[in-house]
Amino acid sequence: MTELATAPNHRSRLRLVDVVSQALLGLTSRKLRTALTALGISIGIASLISIQGITEANQAEARAEIDALGSDFLFITAGTGITEEAELLPYAPDMLETHLDALEYVAALYPVDARARKNELIPEVQTGGVTVSAITSTGLDLLEPVNGSVAFGRFHDATSVEVPGVVLGSLAAERLGIRHLVGHPTINISGHQFAVIGVLNEFETLNTDLNRTAIVGLSVAQELFDTPDTPSAIYAQVQPEQLDEARDLIPAQANPAAPGEVAVSRPTEALEIREVIDETFARILQALALIVLAVGGIGIANIMVISVIERRGEIGLRRSLGATRKHIASQFVIESTMLSLLGGVLGVVIGVGIVLGYAQYKSFAAVIPWYWLSVGVAAAFALGAIAGLYPAWRASRLEPAEAVRPAA
Amino acid sequence: MSWRVTEVPAVLELRGVTKSYDGDPPIEVLKGIDLTIEEGELVAIVGPSGSGKSTLLNMMGALDRPTSGDVLIDGAVVNGLGDSSLSGVRGRRLGFVFQQFHLLAGLTATENVATGLLYHGSSARERKAQAREALTRVGLGHRLDQKPGKLSGGERQRVAIARALLGDPAIVLADEPTGNLDSTTTGEIVELFLELNQQGSTIVMITHDPDLARSMPRVVEILDGEIRLDQVATS
Repeated sequence: MTELATAPNHRSRLRLVDVVSQALLGLTSRKLRTALTALGISIGIASLISIQGITEANQAEARAEIDALGSDFLFITAGTGITEEAELLPYAPDMLETHLDALEYVAALYPVDARARKNELIPEVQTGGVTVSAITSTGLDLLEPVNGSVAFGRFHDATSVEVPGVVLGSLAAERLGIRHLVGHPTINISGHQFAVIGVLNEFETLNTDLNRTAIVGLSVAQELFDTPDTPSAIYAQVQPEQLDEARDLIPAQANPAAPGEVAVSRPTEALEIREVIDETFARILQALALIVLAVGGIGIANIMVISVIERRGEIGLRRSLGATRKHIASQFVIESTMLSLLGGVLGVVIGVGIVLGYAQYKSFAAVIPWYWLSVGVAAAFALGAIAGLYPAWRASRLEPAEAVRPAA
Repeated sequence: MSWRVTEVPAVLELRGVTKSYDGDPPIEVLKGIDLTIEEGELVAIVGPSGSGKSTLLNMMGALDRPTSGDVLIDGAVVNGLGDSSLSGVRGRRLGFVFQQFHLLAGLTATENVATGLLYHGSSARERKAQAREALTRVGLGHRLDQKPGKLSGGERQRVAIARALLGDPAIVLADEPTGNLDSTTTGEIVELFLELNQQGSTIVMITHDPDLARSMPRVVEILDGEIRLDQVATS
């Protein structure tokens, strides 16, 4: 039986470019399905990138603010008085400096029990939430520790704190209708005329209380409103290395009766805490984005399984045209990978768009999270390949004789 | 150098081919088929539904393996080959035409025909050139860039036939190629097969239509998994 020789080796060959073109064909012949399936991945990747980008932009901004504030200021407040009497001693500002070498007094704010109005014709109850505080001639550097600046006019000086002059926070100025200093505007504080000498810029993140405050001189306030000389807040400067020591000693000096009530903080601490919270929050959101991504991957696997069932005839045809099991499997794995990559690239574009839009809106510097960009694309790639494995295996296991028959 | 008379092997040969499917008792669809197709033949395989003719075509087309017996293509046994070699034989030596055409909806007629050479590893340019030629051969030279959706049933089947002809296969196997077509179109397709056969193509066509089978030079009648009649028309 000489003719029972083995068959000459007829080998199937598929060019690499055709492997890709056949996979693309599968995607382009079902455009709506392709778009909707890719969308799941897009949303996941876009969330991943935009969350990171926004968090990084916020942190960069917070860090810039911390740098601007400096970390050597201390903020001493009376506390809430829940357990004991919350009060800072009248002579606390002077005493702190005398008793603690490490400390340098900067300024103190004294609460004034008075109502600010635009003029006498407006009832006293309609103060619009404007509070009145006082400073002394030794606390003229108040704006330094609170990182404040003057919008127009000027801040108090040694002369203005001795006369009825007032500096307004941005919100207070708005409520009282002060938009400029033309014509020397005045306001009425509990029946007394005060000349407005300046308005501050808005405090955006820290010390926002000062936005609604009208600041007058303490000696004037004592004369007109019987303001006690117990400060609500003291601002001090301390050498960074003596910070801990100062923190331990301050409460007993500022309120010996209730040292536990005295709160000593650094203004930058709030920002640092917020940064940590932002970071944690971003991680939680990103975990959610990863779940969205995984769901997107399952969506791809699902649609690919359906595709294999629907395209039985196509698979049979390809097998009759000489496609090997490997050719069929690779077609579906690559189709799935390209589908996912399409979603990934779209997600990157959307994510970067959101990051840029946010930076524009907040007038922050945009931070493109390159690391997460590459993580996103790599994740989409891997997800697509993995999602395609099972459908591809099923497609390759289809018997050609079965596949070419119409479905029963 | 010596002159050697070599017997040209048959294009396709089945030797005692049986096929059973699992079941209790096992279902024996083919019960020992011996069939030889020589080069240049046009053969109709006719039989009613369930006679085993589709299973027979699967055996001839190496789409499935026999339970016992041998399938020889160009004189070489193929049923023992692995997936890769068997796929190669299908792609290079066999052409298929199916009842439901199996055209890819997203591709033009030319692109569909060109897929006939996709797994030969030839370049896209070469595939398209050959596809255009084949389409002209089946009378669709004017429909090269139409997608299947815009073609009539008869035209679609012509596209499928052109695809089967690509790569110059040893044999074209057509499984109920007119099953989805009206009688006029059926006549045209049969006409085309006769014409292609005259140009040298070896064609095996499966049909359940005895009238259609009678218009072919050779008719193999199959019933209950056995060949009942193998008749060459005398004309």
